[in-house]
Amino acid sequence: MSKRSKLEKRILALAAAFALTFGIVPNVSAMHIMEGYLPGGFCIAWGVLCLPFLIAGFLSIKKTLNEHRNLITLLAMSGAFVFVISSLKIPSITGSCSHMTGTGLGAILFGPSAVSILGLIVLLFQAILLGHGGLTTIGANTFSMAIAGPFVTYGIYTLCKKVGVNKRVGIFLAASLGDLFTYCVTAFQMAPAHHAESTIGGAFVKFLAVFAPTQVPLAIIEGIITVLIVMGLETYAKPELRAIGFIKEAK
Amino acid sequence: MITIDKLCYHSKLRYENAGEKFAFAVITLCICVMSRSIAVACIVLAVTGILAVWKGGIPVSRYLRFLTVPLAFLFLSTIAIMFNIKKVPLDLFAIPVGNWYITASTDSFFYALQLILTALAAVSCLYFLSFTTPMPDILEVLRKLHCPGLLIELMLLIYRFIFILLDTASAISTSQNCRLGNKDYRTSLKSFGLLGSVLMIRAITRSNKLYDAMEARCYDGRIRVLSENQPPRKKIIAAIAVFDTALFIFAIWRKFFS
Repeated sequence: MSKRSKLEKRILALAAAFALTFGIVPNVSAMHIMEGYLPGGFCIAWGVLCLPFLIAGFLSIKKTLNEHRNLITLLAMSGAFVFVISSLKIPSITGSCSHMTGTGLGAILFGPSAVSILGLIVLLFQAILLGHGGLTTIGANTFSMAIAGPFVTYGIYTLCKKVGVNKRVGIFLAASLGDLFTYCVTAFQMAPAHHAESTIGGAFVKFLAVFAPTQVPLAIIEGIITVLIVMGLETYAKPELRAIGFIKEAK
Repeated sequence: MITIDKLCYHSKLRYENAGEKFAFAVITLCICVMSRSIAVACIVLAVTGILAVWKGGIPVSRYLRFLTVPLAFLFLSTIAIMFNIKKVPLDLFAIPVGNWYITASTDSFFYALQLILTALAAVSCLYFLSFTTPMPDILEVLRKLHCPGLLIELMLLIYRFIFILLDTASAISTSQNCRLGNKDYRTSLKSFGLLGSVLMIRAITRSNKLYDAMEARCYDGRIRVLSENQPPRKKIIAAIAVFDTALFIFAIWRKFFS
């Protein structure tokens, strides 16, 4: 009897542990590096690496705004749009609550250099208002989510347009590959900082493997949703799209 | 809508000088991240937690729930740091899988523990700032730190627009729910796509109207807001300075002399 109850207890404990782990995991947001997770040196290094992109973005925005002042509200709305899209729960298969990055969509709509500055602001707001990401890791997060990802997305998008791939396929590829690239960059940022008992390469592979189950489906869903949003815009909002294209041309 | 934003307007520390709160949070955060020691992390976690909950009047349950926000990330990355797949077992434990072992060492266990505590302490610093200081006050501090004016203005506008768009989005998703827009997975994906595109269209129309309104009120490229200025108090500045200096000395002592 006592043996049996011990077994039961053990099963109960195991079940509780399972429930706990799976109860925690569902809150999957795009991969922000948490506050305080990177050592000081790495925070500064990634921040410095971001600076040229941010300065370029800042100057291009400033130039555009000097010529067309009325674009400032549009630019701010775009930033708010990226924030809101990334804070909304997206439908996911497992019932877990996940969020999209939104910067890929931003890069397709507004161009990558505007997104770098908007991304920095959005990441700051996400850290302070939602607790995603952080102040010390904002450099690293900006690099992965507002610079590396959007540039890849935009590159693939323009490439697909030039080669003449079906537009939907192009947008899907651009958004999901950009998302995957963001996730690889994040793993790469964590690997040199934390590699106890293995090489940097080993740690990189481990980080990739651990985050893959959440990030790969997320990238695919993000691709599908981006296609849906852009298609919806093309159907209903030709004049508005032209207004955004205006920003893109003016830069 | 955004819980943190709502809570910080109710905080009892809301009317303290924003610069003081900002300096306290950021300096403590830096010391905590640079020192990477378990003792410093525990002190910071305790102090900022007590300040936010007891002085700031944030409900304890809310505070604890917010501390679990980054737990998924913490959990997964700790797995990646602690566990190794090797041919030789390490000293903490080893689970044999075929010819290989899933194994961890005591060192990496302590490393992971230290990392978790440091990260949680850093998050509590961030929460101290965001639970006590509304966004416009933080922007005011950034303006005093000579952040470029254009950036501040963009941030102010974005902060305002976030709430407008969230309102619109929640209205749209309510009406989608009413019309069985989330009845199965395919439909819900389609609904989300429609929500995104309609949101974008609304955002653009809204922004044009807003610019016209601003223009009508003599907008010349700068938005001037009257900032409520709470003068800094000497006692609090002294307390912050004493605490952070003590923490700094303690961190250095832990790092080099023990």
